[in-house]
Amino acid sequence: MRQLGSWPARVGVGFVRACVVATVSMLVPAVWAAAVALGIWWGAANPWSWVAPFVLVCAGTLALCRPVCRVVRFLVARWTTTVIPAGYRQAGPVTQMSTGYWWNGSSYERSRRDALMDQKWRLRWSDPATWRDLRFTAIAPFTAGLVASLPPAGLATAVLGFGGQPGLAARLAGAFGLVVAVASAPYAWRPVEPVAVRFLRPSPAMALADRVEELTAQRADTTVTQAAEIRRIERDLHDGAQARLVALGLSLATAGQLMETDPAQARALLREAQAGATASLAELRELIQGISPPVLTERGLTDAVRALALDMPLDVTVSADTPPRLEAPIEAALYFGIAELLTNTVRHARASRAHVSLTRDGSGITAEVEDDGRGGAGVRAGGGLAGLRRRLAVFDGTVEISSPPGGPTRVKMAVPCESL
Amino acid sequence: MRIVVAEDLYLLRDGLVRLIEACGHQVVATATTGPETLDALRTWRPDVAVIDVRMPPSQSDEGLRAALAARGEMPGLPVLILSQHVEQLYARELLADGSGGVGYLLKESVFDADQFIGALERVAGGGTAMDPAVIAKLLSSGSPSRGLEQLTEREYSVLGLMAEGLSNQAIGRRLFLSESAISKYTTSLFGKLGITDDNDSNRRVRAVLTYLNKPWL
Repeated sequence: MRQLGSWPARVGVGFVRACVVATVSMLVPAVWAAAVALGIWWGAANPWSWVAPFVLVCAGTLALCRPVCRVVRFLVARWTTTVIPAGYRQAGPVTQMSTGYWWNGSSYERSRRDALMDQKWRLRWSDPATWRDLRFTAIAPFTAGLVASLPPAGLATAVLGFGGQPGLAARLAGAFGLVVAVASAPYAWRPVEPVAVRFLRPSPAMALADRVEELTAQRADTTVTQAAEIRRIERDLHDGAQARLVALGLSLATAGQLMETDPAQARALLREAQAGATASLAELRELIQGISPPVLTERGLTDAVRALALDMPLDVTVSADTPPRLEAPIEAALYFGIAELLTNTVRHARASRAHVSLTRDGSGITAEVEDDGRGGAGVRAGGGLAGLRRRLAVFDGTVEISSPPGGPTRVKMAVPCESL
Repeated sequence: MRIVVAEDLYLLRDGLVRLIEACGHQVVATATTGPETLDALRTWRPDVAVIDVRMPPSQSDEGLRAALAARGEMPGLPVLILSQHVEQLYARELLADGSGGVGYLLKESVFDADQFIGALERVAGGGTAMDPAVIAKLLSSGSPSRGLEQLTEREYSVLGLMAEGLSNQAIGRRLFLSESAISKYTTSLFGKLGITDDNDSNRRVRAVLTYLNKPWL
């Protein structure tokens, strides 16, 4: 949270925040109060005095609860470091069937608009987050709202006490109100955080459901990627080394035939076979480098990154503070991530030097690549950085990119401890 | 020459031994693991050792580590490292002690028996034998270190070939120049790099080390 300076500043900021919290949390009760007032105004004899307020309460609450909760989440995230995930269910795609009707996942509709509308209401109704929001809008006024109302209420008392009729009692009440307003201002907005955390955070079951969904998507993605990789390796071996070995065998067989009759030709064929063997070795070496770089197997991440840095056509320095060996898949993911980032630097950044740092702390392992280039790097769908993000997601890893136009570019990859 | 061969794959080990013996040298011992290699080097103190990088028991860089350890105990012990892949990192580690007698070649360099035995003899004599692949990587990477900027393009390519371990005569053949022209180039590049040693093979090794020098090593 931002460090607030002097005491008057804290009181001022706290007062504004308390007013905002009070207003937001009292919105729904205000609608209820208005409905009740309407009912009383129309009197018990008017039959509408029961129906209209009831409709007003229901419609008002339903319409307001989601925006109110969104605002509360936003405010809590902004004022404190606590981020409360919204956890609303996402709508599936709406597709037009061959019959011309629209299918939204649960029903057929004549038009796209109808399908979307139907889907929206079904989702609202079945989403546990909706019920959680409703519960919060009912609880918030009596907890966070009530406390946050203290400073504005105190100020109102003070204004009335000093500006209203003269008299010692009124003055005393005004002074008391002022003291309460000033004293409570820096603290009165704070209860909104624990209340929001307690009642707005997705339940463990929901968080678990989300996690399962995420993992299912990741597993599907990994399977597809793996299959594609294996196909690529198969193709490379089939078209490369395998074909070359066939040619090699042919050259040797022919050389064997010609040994007696045409030794010069046989020698030429043997030389050719030797060149073929060298070429297929080079090809295999390149293929292996792409699957699992030997230096990574032999030395681990730190030295593999050092070796990588040496091969780059710009000055790359490496600082490392990591254990000698990590799990092989994580080493590989980080290695290829760093390789990708350095390649990007060489290709796009117009940098003269780069720095790679590997650090291990209590929360996990972090790899940071920094260059002095022109910046402006970003994640494009299907681009290298998006792929990097996907590869690290398997280990719950994250990629943070900071690349303002004009540079420098700094990319931070982090893999949490639990995956190590 | 008395040679120790350390290689875990039977076919390759057998092939190497046959090749070396066919060329009139003697293989005094073979080793198949990292610790065995170190033992053999200590026991036999060979004229030169041919060592594979990756070996059991850990299937990591056991061979390289055994070679480095042996050279730590017996400075200047000539070793020729063979590997399926070449890394600048390993080349730098091998050359870091500055005492020469180091080779680092791809395994397929044994295809050319004459060149391979030539490299072996050069290393045994305290020179270097670097695979052209390592040199190519060096040429394309990073910004050149201080001193090297003053070299002309021709001197630079002479230095590259010198780093591979070629003699002046061989460099001349490669660049289609006379041996005396090459020795002129080498003298001028030694001067530019500030290498004043009298012994020619020492000078060559030091020039290569300058060439390989990078801030972090």
